[in-house]
Amino acid sequence: MDSKSSTPRITCAYLSQYVGKLVTVVGKVVQLRGEEATIDADGTIHAFLNREAHLSANNGVQLIGKVNPDLSIKVLSSVDLGQGVDYNLANAVVEVTHRYKPLFVYEN
Amino acid sequence: MAGYGGYGGGDGGGFMSGSQQGGSQAGGSKYADESLRPVTIKQLLDWEETFPGAELAIDGHPVTQVTIVGQVRSVKPQPTNITYRIDDGTGAIDVKKWVDSEAQGGEDGGSGAGAIAPDAFVRVWGRLKSLGGKKHVSANFIRQIEDFNEVNYHLLEATYVHLFFTKGAPGSGGAKQEGGGGDNMFVDQGYGAGGGDVAMGGAGPGGGNSAMQARLATCSRNAQIMCNFINNSPGGTEGVNLHVIAQGTRMSVRDITNAADELLGQGIIYTTQDDETWAILDY
Repeated sequence: MDSKSSTPRITCAYLSQYVGKLVTVVGKVVQLRGEEATIDADGTIHAFLNREAHLSANNGVQLIGKVNPDLSIKVLSSVDLGQGVDYNLANAVVEVTHRYKPLFVYEN
Repeated sequence: MAGYGGYGGGDGGGFMSGSQQGGSQAGGSKYADESLRPVTIKQLLDWEETFPGAELAIDGHPVTQVTIVGQVRSVKPQPTNITYRIDDGTGAIDVKKWVDSEAQGGEDGGSGAGAIAPDAFVRVWGRLKSLGGKKHVSANFIRQIEDFNEVNYHLLEATYVHLFFTKGAPGSGGAKQEGGGGDNMFVDQGYGAGGGDVAMGGAGPGGGNSAMQARLATCSRNAQIMCNFINNSPGGTEGVNLHVIAQGTRMSVRDITNAADELLGQGIIYTTQDDETWAILDY
């Protein structure tokens, strides 16, 4: 089976369009409180981490998770990206992937 | 039995279908048609094999090799290959790296392939194969990505190449790359060493007629006015008559004739019903 489903890349601004869906977020870890994290991805996003998450404050992170109705994210997978992540680039990619959706996103 | 025959064609694909296609591809050597294209996994999954052994084509252009960047979701060692499930956020596909028995324990074979763990970001070079409707990438090479920005870079590059093939080269200096030249632009370029600057700006908004706009920019003012007028007229492929243009632009018949000659020479317009009716050559 080819898995024809996408986890669209989004920033904070797109959260409301993706409630209940799986998304990918690249951002900077602003704060860690136990299993709760605050991520800056062109705006502040609250994320509820899973047990396996190993994040560090001020590092970049890629989260894959589901958008809750209150626009927080329930994280299913997270990767620490360390320092040196170009956040402007990441945000630009989000814009590009929304402008040219046929290349990146399966609708529904 | 019949099924096996079909697979055989697909398997030998590189060679068999190559010889079939040879005639239609203007006889040029297969080697010259080799291309390496950055793509998203969704682009690979979206491609529909029109017949068994058909060559991969994206945006109407044949593609021999592809490079994808994604995250490893699973690793399955098999007797003859290691199968990786690669997910780049646009889709997921299996990538098979054949085990080279001679290089076992060697520098590249051993440490390179064996060390790749789930969740790692990797770049893959290989060919898309399709067996019985199931697609996978047969990898020539897989390497782990050190700098996460390469993931984003790859997505922009894949977009850039898609726009290049569908909308033409970016406006500045791209005009001469039309046609045959354009196809070769991405062949044999050192991807690993490639710089980070993708000219997205040029290819982005209003890129639709960028190639035409570039050529139009070299024309006289009258020619530009005339071209824009035809472009904005509802004539379509039937074209717009000289007198309509004269009325609309308030240019003299003589000026229009001269401008038309110029635009015809540039291949921007063509004559339709008669010598005094023109339409935009849109492709």
